[in-house]
Amino acid sequence: MTDPTAATGVIGPAPAVDAAAAVTAGARGAARRRRALVWAARLATLVVVIGGWQLLTNAKIVDRFFWGQPSGIVSQLNDWARHGTAYGSIWLQIWTTFKEAVLGFVVGVAAGVIVGVLLGQFRFFSEVLSPYIKIANAIPRIVLGSLFTVALGLGIAAKVSLAAVLVFFVVFFNAFQGVREVDRNLLNNARVLGASRRAITRHVVIPSALTWIIASLHVAFGLAIIGAIVGEFLGAQRGLGLVIATAQNNFNPDGVFAAMFIIAVLALTAEGLIGLLERRLLSWRPPSQAEAAAA
Amino acid sequence: MTVASTFARRRRTPGGTREGRGETGTARQAAQIELSGVTKRFVTPSGSMFTALRDVDVTIGAGKFCAVVGPTGCGKSTTLTMVAGLDRPSAGTVRVGGQTVDGITAGTSFMFQADALMPWKTVLANVALGPVFRGAQKREAQARARDWVRRVGLAGFEDHHPHQLSGGMRKRVSLAAALINEPAILLMDEPFGALDVQTKAIMSNELLGLWEQTRPSVIFVTHDLEEAIALADQVVVMTAGPGTVKAVYDIDLPRPRGAVQEIRFDARFLELHHQIWESLREEVERAYSRTTQGGRS
Repeated sequence: MTDPTAATGVIGPAPAVDAAAAVTAGARGAARRRRALVWAARLATLVVVIGGWQLLTNAKIVDRFFWGQPSGIVSQLNDWARHGTAYGSIWLQIWTTFKEAVLGFVVGVAAGVIVGVLLGQFRFFSEVLSPYIKIANAIPRIVLGSLFTVALGLGIAAKVSLAAVLVFFVVFFNAFQGVREVDRNLLNNARVLGASRRAITRHVVIPSALTWIIASLHVAFGLAIIGAIVGEFLGAQRGLGLVIATAQNNFNPDGVFAAMFIIAVLALTAEGLIGLLERRLLSWRPPSQAEAAAA
Repeated sequence: MTVASTFARRRRTPGGTREGRGETGTARQAAQIELSGVTKRFVTPSGSMFTALRDVDVTIGAGKFCAVVGPTGCGKSTTLTMVAGLDRPSAGTVRVGGQTVDGITAGTSFMFQADALMPWKTVLANVALGPVFRGAQKREAQARARDWVRRVGLAGFEDHHPHQLSGGMRKRVSLAAALINEPAILLMDEPFGALDVQTKAIMSNELLGLWEQTRPSVIFVTHDLEEAIALADQVVVMTAGPGTVKAVYDIDLPRPRGAVQEIRFDARFLELHHQIWESLREEVERAYSRTTQGGRS
């Protein structure tokens, strides 16, 4: 297939080549038309939803006092960008929330992976701890936010802790399961080849569990943002959660939606970064699986 | 040599046609494998006792190629795991090179029926695992792996991942990964069972070629009697489970054997095949009737 003579020396019957070219060109054209159609439909959906909302609130069918209005949200965003919020510039609020979410995410992921991999490998500990883990997983952990706010104060620590706890469990369960699902053949093969316990963990167990761990990261970052926002709701001096709480207290639905929009942009950006990481770390996977995951 | 005659290859090194024979120095001394009175029982999840092997006595001389044939479920694979030290006999002893197996047997390589390649590692990294696990420097391990990848005819595929290769190519990678440590013992559990007939024949030829270079003691488990006779010095027939040694046949076909596709028309081959099949058939039929009865009850 890489032999140059195959490309230059052997010339197939010309009509067949033309026909093949026509088929591929046709297929490419069809794919392009389909993509254009999908994008047009997406745009139309956006116009209908946002436009409908705007029209309904303008016509007073829906009360904009309770449900906000797209134009109001835009002017609220504009206002924040120009004059800032009651707690300083909007960028400071965004940065604060982002910092809390990322720190919580990092701590939670690290703890989840370490504990998951350890418990996955040491059966005794996992048997001892499993009922407690089940209990801890069953309690609504978001309530811990109250505890953290009281114990750790209004600063960043309480939010990071809450985000980390939410992230921990998701990552932990996936890492644990991933370690348990390691192919026994691979383990036996590594043992016969003379691998030490540490080498097995490094070369077999962790790479194998990585598929599971990375799958959990998508959910985990969403939870980290929720943890940060709820933490700020419960008591903070700055941050998007505080901005939302203030908007709620002022009967300002546009403010709530505007903050929501900012958070969505934040979450989507992070999601994109995690997707990049996933493609990099899991590049060994057959493309069909990666495509299925991306779709 | 046989490697050159297989898949079209892309050469990487200029003048890279160096013959692979004996260039990495002396192999580890091949070791004699001795099973005496080996019995293996398992407790099934329902709590009943299941005897997989009963009083297995067999000796495989150092550097000999031994094929084990027998009906499904007669404990052939269990035998291999006990020689490798992955499992312990319930009674009896397994000795390798005169020493009782206790823990992972040093100098052993195992080739499983399913691929035991790390899907997240490239061909080169997979082959290099053996030396890496034994503490070799990364660079040295990779150099040796490169050499072995070439010996199994996969030069140019070093950076591919296992899923990008065909079944036969993956087997070549497994073979290189198993042989790179120059094992004293090579255990093979139906290594070519999942391949089509043609690829299987090619792989068998290559296995023989590589085995003749380093001469480890081999236990080769298979369902395929022709494959067993074509490859081995010694064919062990096992009874239907609980497995025990029914008979041992010495295969006196001269070596080097040449192509396995042709040797099966040799008169002596046919004679041996006839003899061993008579012995094996009874066991296969017994195992078969047992499973069908089990299915009815």
